[in-house]
Amino acid sequence: MKITLTLNGSKVTHDVEPRETLADFVRDRCGLTATHLGCEHGACGACTVVLDGEVTRACLMLAVMCDGRTVETLEGFRNHPAMEVIRKHFHECHGLQCGFCTPGMLLMARDILARKPGCDADTVRYELSGQICRCTGYSGIVKSIVSAGQELAGKAPAKA
Amino acid sequence: MKSAPFDYVRPESVAEASALLAQDGVTTAAIAGGQSLIPMLSLRAAQADLLVDVSRLDELKAVRETPQALHIGALTTHAAIEDGKIPDPFNGLMRRVASTISYRAVRNHGTIGGSVALADPAADWPGCLMALGATVHIAGPGGTRQQPVVDFVKGLYETTLASGEIVIGFDVPRPTSPLCWGFAKVVRKSGAFANSIAIVVAPGKGGPITAVLSAAGPRPIALANAARALGNGAMSDDTLRTAIAADLKADLPGADAYEQRLHTATVLRAAREMQATS
Amino acid sequence: MASHPPSDGWIGASLKRKEDARFLYGHGKYIADVRMPGVQDVAFVRSQVANGRLRSVTKPEGGSANVFTLADLQPLTVLEAGPELPQHKLSPYPPLADERVRYVGQGIAACLAPTRAIAEDLADRVTVDIEQLPAVVDCVAAMQPGSPRVFDHWADNAYITSNVVEGSPQVLTSAPVRVRRQFRMNRQATVSLECRGVLAYWDHRTNELVVYLSTQGGHVKRIGLSRILGLPENQVRVIAPDVGGGFGGKNRLMPEDVAVAAIAMKVGHPVRWIEDRREHLIASVHARDHTYDLTLSADKDGTLLGVEGDIYIDAGAYALWPTGAFQEASMASRNLTGPYRIRHLNLKTYTVATNKAPMGPYRGVARPGACFAIERLVDEMARELGREPFDLRRQNIVTAAELPYDTAAGMRLDTGDYVEALDTARDMVDLAAIRKRQAEGEPDGRAIGVGFAFYTEQSGHGTAEFAKRKFRVIPGYESANARMLPDGSVIIHVGVQNHGQGHETSLAQIAAHELTIHPDRISIRYGDTATSPMGFGSFASRSIVFAGGAVAHSCRALVEKIRKIGAHLLQTDVANTRLQGGAVHGPSGKVDLAEIAFVANARQEQLPTGMAPLLEAVGTYEPTVSGGVFAYGTHAVVVAVDPDSGVVELLDYAVAEDCGTMINPLIVDGQVQGGIAQGIGTALYEEIPFDELGQPLATTFGDYMVPCAPEIPDVRLAHLVSPAHATEYGVKGLGEGGAIAPPAAIANAVADAFRDIGARFNETPLTPRRVSEAIDRARREKGAA
Repeated sequence: MKITLTLNGSKVTHDVEPRETLADFVRDRCGLTATHLGCEHGACGACTVVLDGEVTRACLMLAVMCDGRTVETLEGFRNHPAMEVIRKHFHECHGLQCGFCTPGMLLMARDILARKPGCDADTVRYELSGQICRCTGYSGIVKSIVSAGQELAGKAPAKA
Repeated sequence: MKSAPFDYVRPESVAEASALLAQDGVTTAAIAGGQSLIPMLSLRAAQADLLVDVSRLDELKAVRETPQALHIGALTTHAAIEDGKIPDPFNGLMRRVASTISYRAVRNHGTIGGSVALADPAADWPGCLMALGATVHIAGPGGTRQQPVVDFVKGLYETTLASGEIVIGFDVPRPTSPLCWGFAKVVRKSGAFANSIAIVVAPGKGGPITAVLSAAGPRPIALANAARALGNGAMSDDTLRTAIAADLKADLPGADAYEQRLHTATVLRAAREMQATS
Repeated sequence: MASHPPSDGWIGASLKRKEDARFLYGHGKYIADVRMPGVQDVAFVRSQVANGRLRSVTKPEGGSANVFTLADLQPLTVLEAGPELPQHKLSPYPPLADERVRYVGQGIAACLAPTRAIAEDLADRVTVDIEQLPAVVDCVAAMQPGSPRVFDHWADNAYITSNVVEGSPQVLTSAPVRVRRQFRMNRQATVSLECRGVLAYWDHRTNELVVYLSTQGGHVKRIGLSRILGLPENQVRVIAPDVGGGFGGKNRLMPEDVAVAAIAMKVGHPVRWIEDRREHLIASVHARDHTYDLTLSADKDGTLLGVEGDIYIDAGAYALWPTGAFQEASMASRNLTGPYRIRHLNLKTYTVATNKAPMGPYRGVARPGACFAIERLVDEMARELGREPFDLRRQNIVTAAELPYDTAAGMRLDTGDYVEALDTARDMVDLAAIRKRQAEGEPDGRAIGVGFAFYTEQSGHGTAEFAKRKFRVIPGYESANARMLPDGSVIIHVGVQNHGQGHETSLAQIAAHELTIHPDRISIRYGDTATSPMGFGSFASRSIVFAGGAVAHSCRALVEKIRKIGAHLLQTDVANTRLQGGAVHGPSGKVDLAEIAFVANARQEQLPTGMAPLLEAVGTYEPTVSGGVFAYGTHAVVVAVDPDSGVVELLDYAVAEDCGTMINPLIVDGQVQGGIAQGIGTALYEEIPFDELGQPLATTFGDYMVPCAPEIPDVRLAHLVSPAHATEYGVKGLGEGGAIAPPAAIANAVADAFRDIGARFNETPLTPRRVSEAIDRARREKGAA
């Protein structure tokens, strides 16, 4: 069936099968491969995207359910000011290794810092529940988000 | 890990949705947030010929306050409850429960109606709504009906929902005085399906106490002995343990020694938390 | 012996990673991101029974041309795998099942369709008729005489057994104090966040099979694919794109790799298979699954004497090419003495075939089990003797003065100060304060415990070590091809495979150090057999030692030629020149590398007479000692345990470790933290249990618990730095160390919390149920006593 949605700011229209997930839609129909598939049953967070402003598991959403709605993938945050800050801290705090979880982590980080500006490490850890990183042991990721949060909240940035 | 093919339709009204779901000879499923259904479809552990998307039906979104109750529309998400976007006459209990369900991205779409309609034994809302004495509103081909949640949830993934019926929302009675509550949950890891959930509520000092244990049996269990002991002002661990043991023996006879210790521990923790706030 | 310049400049700099940018913008290109016109997807029909005779496979009407069974993939040459030892029994592993299936998840047919979803639809329509046979599920029971067999023609279910006898067994049997315990480290998956995947097609222009593979080492896979498919190696090109983690799980030739490549040779379009998570948990590389029955002997004064007993490795149904799981037993037994002066060993090892997915390597390989066994035993011995476990550990550990120290099993522990690592970790968690807190008790009814574990991590082991292990492919060296381009920038191709370790940064730092230029001017390339020199890939904590050394050697060869050209341009003798700050300096001036590079590449008339143009060198490297260098460390953990629910909370986690010279401390910390998170997974969360029919019971992340951020503490790290003598710059590999000690340290801490009742925590993962049941058992035994 034909659906139209706003993807990273542009209207896109595709003829899709009802069974297609939003993750397969953005990857295979739209060629946006920053959205990764790590489990396809909603438990790893690698496919995190933003749907109508809310972080969403793209593997737990059908593309047809997104008809008329607004979807943003990491590609849509290329020049996003807050995301640029978050990226900088991920780079400085060694918040990534193999990079596979990274797009989901970045979108989750932005969501956490939008809901809980300047939050502490314990809060970040709890909010990262369900985002699997197999490489870093999370330490670098938590540090990245905390220090990005401090910069975004106008506090003195934490030492990397 | 891709779903088998199915058809999809997004009806404009509850009546239309109900008619679509009630079709003969077609395996239908209502989809709201889809956070439980879609992974089951992807794993091909569940199959449907037709998904009926009820996620945009305004009738399922209504949240209303009356002097007696809060009406929570079935499509209210866990995140909306967590964030306090609906009124909270329960002194934070529902917000706390919501904040522990799965993960934030799932909470953004998973709905309270879907949770209760699915009746997963490890789910949080059936037990919580039971503890709060909530009533479920249902619409179907034969009109609408209401039923206490405690009667609605019958067993493992089993409710009284008949073909074509849809959960519209819940009426949750307002506590007569500030709710005292305790909530304890044991999970293998954060956000995982629970192994034990205990909720103990008392609508203010001296009110009738309710204790509900979830994720233990096929459906949530109201712990009558524990509630009574608490109501009688039982304070010692031993008294409470004895009461909980009696409940488990009566309502969860299959529980092994570890499960008994585990559930006893969560109920005790919830009870202590409730007492600390009262 | 290599020289050791001081760690200044780029060596030891916490340089931010060069590879980060593409991942941070979503530009990483993993196997599933490779877009190939006309590609079709494969879904596999897999066995649903653990052991059975495959009577028939019925292809669906109308779809049969797109369903491939083993017969449709021929001709193939199934490769012998496992160690090259006559007593090692062979377990031929075809890419799809022949007349027998031997584990749940084994591939039976491959279904090809334009999308994965349609391929799965097709797979659902394939009918498989299997006569179910009794399954071999328990590796100890499998060695009993009446056990069913995994391979009918084998005399018993052991791939191989061995005896490790060192010192005098007599000493053990007559020892004054003997503590016997059984330990189990259960089976788990490796769980790279990116699953495996393969995409293959015949490239008609180059007349070769191109295989994109999510792998830890493409060259070795090319050897295997070439042999099994009967293609010369110059017609097989393996390309690894970005690889989303491996941890050992992407370091064997897997049946799906072969099946997809074989199908690609039959059809006229690209073919790919992307493993999904359920396939990963059921049928990818499994790991751990060790059972120990050991007795530790000591003198009354606490001097540890020796270990005797049995070690069982449940290796699953087949040996994966090339080496299967056969280093597990030897590594478990040879590492069993850990860092201790234990001189007597009498061990029997059994590597057993069962009806489970084949075992492969996983971060730490065998040592998490060995460390768990010996470190738990040391604690149990301490309790037997009424000693503080930390003190018994310290009494028996090899001191700095004794290094280098040859262990009973023949490993040479090289440099370091083990006592200092112990003491540092003890002070980080403040042992005395914890003992005081324990005496006071916890208000919430939980019990507090502290545990220590010491690990050693062999790395950089080369030819002699792997030849001793009878490997079919000996990863005894690495290579690097350093090429300076006309503008003086540098591209270095290496044979290792970066999959998160930061090689693009750390290897560039090494080259920058040698070439005296900024790492930004240096590109590290890998992952394509068409362009990288032969190498073995990234595993066994080997990359920084081997590839780092190879990069150094190739760069030094360039420097030698650069100086000659520079001397010629400066009209001086090469002996009067030095390379510094990206220029060759002579008595009368300097000439920049860019100028030298341009001359060497494009203005050859200015070269010294007779000198060949180009600045390009291939360097190979093996450390001067073939038995490896040993990183080590102490993990110290404080836990709080709720006896009723059995839930364990990690209150504190401290590590004092030594991996020799650190090229990039930022990356080192990341490796240690990441390894510990995986070790915590083994210790507390991750397990694939099997029922008595051989059905795996954790097949999604709903059942298989991968720890997330809330489960992992912020580990405090202290670094000791004792450079190795046998490697370039004094580096030691460190990728695996973090994953080795957590099960031992955490189990010791939980046991410490319940030391008064002697509860035993000897099986991982320490699930809430296992913990609570162990406490309950001990309480009842104590009550009865």
